[in-house]
Amino acid sequence: MFWTREKLYEEIYNLIVDTCLSISPDAKDLLQQSLKKETNETAKNMLQTMLEDVEMAKKLKKPVCQSPGFGTVYVSFSDTALLKDIKEIYSQAIIEATKNGFLRPSMVHPLTRKNPGDNSGIGVPNFEFVYKPEQEYVEHILSFKGCGAELGNAMKIMTTAMLGKNYVGFKKFVIETALAAGGKPCPPYVIGIGIGGQMDIACKLARQAVSIRDWRDSNPDPLLKELEKELCEKINSLKIGAAGTGGDTSCLAVKIEMVSTHTAILPVGISFHCWPARRGGIRIYPDGRKERLFLGGINQ
Amino acid sequence: MKEVKLNTPLKEKDIRDLKIGDVVYISGYICTSRDMGHLKMKEVIAEGEKLPVDLTGGVIFHAGPVVKKKDSTYELRVIGPTTSIRMEPHSDFIGNLGVKMIIGKGGMDEGTSNALQKYGMAYLQAPPGCAVVLGEKVEKVENVYWMELGVPEALWVLKVNEFGPLVVGMDSTGDSIYRDIKVNGKKLIEKMF
Repeated sequence: MFWTREKLYEEIYNLIVDTCLSISPDAKDLLQQSLKKETNETAKNMLQTMLEDVEMAKKLKKPVCQSPGFGTVYVSFSDTALLKDIKEIYSQAIIEATKNGFLRPSMVHPLTRKNPGDNSGIGVPNFEFVYKPEQEYVEHILSFKGCGAELGNAMKIMTTAMLGKNYVGFKKFVIETALAAGGKPCPPYVIGIGIGGQMDIACKLARQAVSIRDWRDSNPDPLLKELEKELCEKINSLKIGAAGTGGDTSCLAVKIEMVSTHTAILPVGISFHCWPARRGGIRIYPDGRKERLFLGGINQ
Repeated sequence: MKEVKLNTPLKEKDIRDLKIGDVVYISGYICTSRDMGHLKMKEVIAEGEKLPVDLTGGVIFHAGPVVKKKDSTYELRVIGPTTSIRMEPHSDFIGNLGVKMIIGKGGMDEGTSNALQKYGMAYLQAPPGCAVVLGEKVEKVENVYWMELGVPEALWVLKVNEFGPLVVGMDSTGDSIYRDIKVNGKKLIEKMF
């Protein structure tokens, strides 16, 4: 057995640290494209500062952003599981990365607000497991998503009547949510939208859409592809801008994920992802091979 | 739109001269405070006690740093703004303490706009997520209080040099970039469909 607990711990610790020290290349690419198009001087200054921040973080080996937000690990696996101890390994590696100054201790008890000081706590990090029998490797996608952005999120159980012709009701809900969020979610942001299922499913899909998809990809579903483009353009036409102080780009992309729902309801979850895309991934093969995703990996 | 360099303690005149869109760099001392920090300040004042720092002419930065403990001191690694709207209920309170500037992100609401006019304060937008750039402008951690609240919520007193770029998002005349964007955005949405 190649993957001993020690070997797995080392890989996961390095993944956590690397994820804090940079942003995924899709995010950087979209920020650079936005800067080229920007006509507002303040927004240009803000976008330049963001790109400078990414460069300095790399050079100085410091976390891109002070807030690690809340971590979720998306794990897909097959019968060759390699999952032993991973919850414990992540919890411990996060505590070690916190002690070493890569993560701010931000996790608190939800009611007493008491901070244990090391990012330990119930359900930290969060895990989403998907069984993929055809897959020979175990894939981890680690996503630290900022929580100021969460303050802009919204969820609604819509109805057929609310949906309206040409999905106008749905579109308005998304655009009005973006206007209300303003500069709170650290624009330029990416918006994840989950449609269908019930409340829990729509919200999980929304978070997943901004966490595991490449922000430059194109939705294979033609209807969703069209909606993603239209919503992104309309949100940018509100001129919220980078940092929320005006400008041409507040939204880098809209990503929609969909499942079927019940005939009585249309659950819609909206999740904002701030520009610092602290996302990293790794594929672990039973024979000892490994591949990094997002950062210095196959997606670069 | 002008570019301004200011030093702490701030004078009311410096702030009354600032208009939305101006870019500011600040040198001197700034204090971090967020949700729990503001509640703690209120608690201390309600008990008739003094705050550990004098905030007359002071700057409140909505932020919590990443630090590394070295012996008994803290090395500040990075720091950037947190979402300010959560501190909306406390603007009048901090204005009354003599605070002249709030630095944060995302803007604040009408209660804050009123307090800015009443006390001669300004709200400045820091570049969001840019914790390395901003952290490099912190010369040292001068002091830290209320560590029992946890690293993010403690009151950190930071010595800064040309801390910025900061954009005046809300000024002491009652103008607000955030309000302008919202009002205009509502009209645009009405015309969209």
